Amino acid sequence: MSNIRLAHLAHFKTIPYKQINNFRDFYYEEKTNDTYFLDWDHILKYHKATGYDGIELLPWDLNEILGLFGTPEAYVDFCQERGIVVSGMFHGCDDSHIAEKHDEIFEAGKQAVDTLKKLGGKHLNTCPASNYSEIGPLSEEGLKNVAKVITDIGRYAVDNGIQVCLHNEFFCAVNKYNHRQFLEMTDPRYVFYCLDTAQIKLMGDDVLNFYDTYADRITTFHLKDTASMGESDAVRFGQDPQHYKDVEITRDGHRWFWEPGEGVVDMEGLWKLLKKHHFQGWVSIEDDQTPDLLAAMALASYEVNEVLGKIYR
Amino acid sequence: MKIGFSSDLVNLNYHAPNRNRYESVYYWEELYTLISAAGFKYLEMGYNPKWDFGRSGIPLVNRSIELVYGGFENYLKLLHESGIEGITSVSFDPNMFCGGNTDMYFGAVGFLAPQAIAYAKSSGAEVFTMTATPSYYSVKKCCPEGESFEKFEEEFLDKTASLIEELAKKAEEAGVKMCIRNDYWTLLRGNKIVDFVKNLNAKVYIDADTANLKAAGVCPEAFIKDNLENIGLVHFSDTDFVDDQEAYLQPLPEFPAKRSTKVFKDMGRGTVDFVKIYEILKDGGYDGNIICNARNSYDQCRSLLRARRYLQTKLGQ
Repeated sequence: MSNIRLAHLAHFKTIPYKQINNFRDFYYEEKTNDTYFLDWDHILKYHKATGYDGIELLPWDLNEILGLFGTPEAYVDFCQERGIVVSGMFHGCDDSHIAEKHDEIFEAGKQAVDTLKKLGGKHLNTCPASNYSEIGPLSEEGLKNVAKVITDIGRYAVDNGIQVCLHNEFFCAVNKYNHRQFLEMTDPRYVFYCLDTAQIKLMGDDVLNFYDTYADRITTFHLKDTASMGESDAVRFGQDPQHYKDVEITRDGHRWFWEPGEGVVDMEGLWKLLKKHHFQGWVSIEDDQTPDLLAAMALASYEVNEVLGKIYR
Repeated sequence: MKIGFSSDLVNLNYHAPNRNRYESVYYWEELYTLISAAGFKYLEMGYNPKWDFGRSGIPLVNRSIELVYGGFENYLKLLHESGIEGITSVSFDPNMFCGGNTDMYFGAVGFLAPQAIAYAKSSGAEVFTMTATPSYYSVKKCCPEGESFEKFEEEFLDKTASLIEELAKKAEEAGVKMCIRNDYWTLLRGNKIVDFVKNLNAKVYIDADTANLKAAGVCPEAFIKDNLENIGLVHFSDTDFVDDQEAYLQPLPEFPAKRSTKVFKDMGRGTVDFVKIYEILKDGGYDGNIICNARNSYDQCRSLLRARRYLQTKLGQ
């Protein structure tokens, strides 16, 4: 059995059908490939066919998923029939820097843990705070408040067999100058880390050094590449007039994120470190900003299995 | 009678290939020129607070217009330079706020719909049109276990009437005509909207959406002819869908589960008789606008040109 289990973070937005029973007729209505991206049956098969065992979900898609399947358990069964399990789910903790919001954010975190438990997932990959452009810079007190609520959610998660894994964004209020400090403010018994390789590179930190330093905490990855070498504070903090406040989506269509191997992240160096630390667990391919999710899934799978797999698998 | 095109041409909800472009400013700015090149000089914008959260490339919330253009004056200037003469209507669909709790739903819509009205005012739109209720499926989720849905539905509609009356006041203050629409999965589907509007204690008009009327089993020509004096906006949307599977009750009613089909088709690809409807509007002295729809389009340029081809060859427009 491989040490690395490949999952895919599903940026498919709403998938409106469970299964298309009249696929050929439906195709003939417009004769385009749109028909191929509208139902869970096909999309899960694409996952398995391109080498994935897991799918990571986004919380804003759950309403439609539960509408289509009725219960989390029914969705899990449907996935498993196609050889896929839920590896994890994303979660956001906006306003976590405000002490008075602790209980509300803790409750939302508990609900996310409960949902993920029903889905059979392991990692609740959690963005710790709002964007820098909205609330930055965070004070020491604010950072402590974030650490407190994340640790509390993490404790509840561990009790339920789930790992809360910090997931940083290069435009988050927890950023270049405080993200290592922040990680150390959380309790290592309850709070883990999901290393998003492109986000850390864009933030301007050293991906390899970061992994080597925190390998014990890093229990999963969002694997993606970037062609940017570390963006300026102005860009990351949403203060650059060319990029404006919402940094993530650029005005001109410039992509921050690319498929593994298409950018400048030292993937081979990282894989040597995975081998050094005997990493075992889920690696989620995240292909946000790709124009073609299926092509991106296939490219990433090739890179992990055929290129990096020669180093460690 | 101005003929415009709706922004729901851009399907932001589903990730077919190349969807990633739709969140960036450059995509929309080119699209305006293409809409104009297809002969449409007016737009309807679908206000959607979902895009308030870090997606300001999508021009469907006030925040986007402020962040990207510094306000509506600059945005409208850009539209003019792109060949778009104006935004004639702003639509708002509250279904996403109905997640199982009635109080939260009415609270959210009461808070957010005025933002859409403000967008309408700032953009110079003549009409604010709101889908009158969430879907049957969403409303049923709010109904407490053991309670009769018929009674719950009645109460929900009473609260809806109060909400719409409040919003109509705000629209009037903003100098905008308020309409409500009845997508075929809503509590006011088909002819139910007629009496509802008549009984409101505010002047609210009907937004007649041809495909939604047809999918609800109502003849759009007859509906428009019978209710012309209460119609404030007409949507030219096409369909050949016959709801023989109670899709209107399903969780995602635009995507009928038993037999998949593209419910909303490009103009001319369905069975709606726009020639007859256009005659009724002209003969009846209709002085509102027409908005063409290509909801869930698979190809924006093709949808635009199909609509223009239909308007040119069948309606002389």
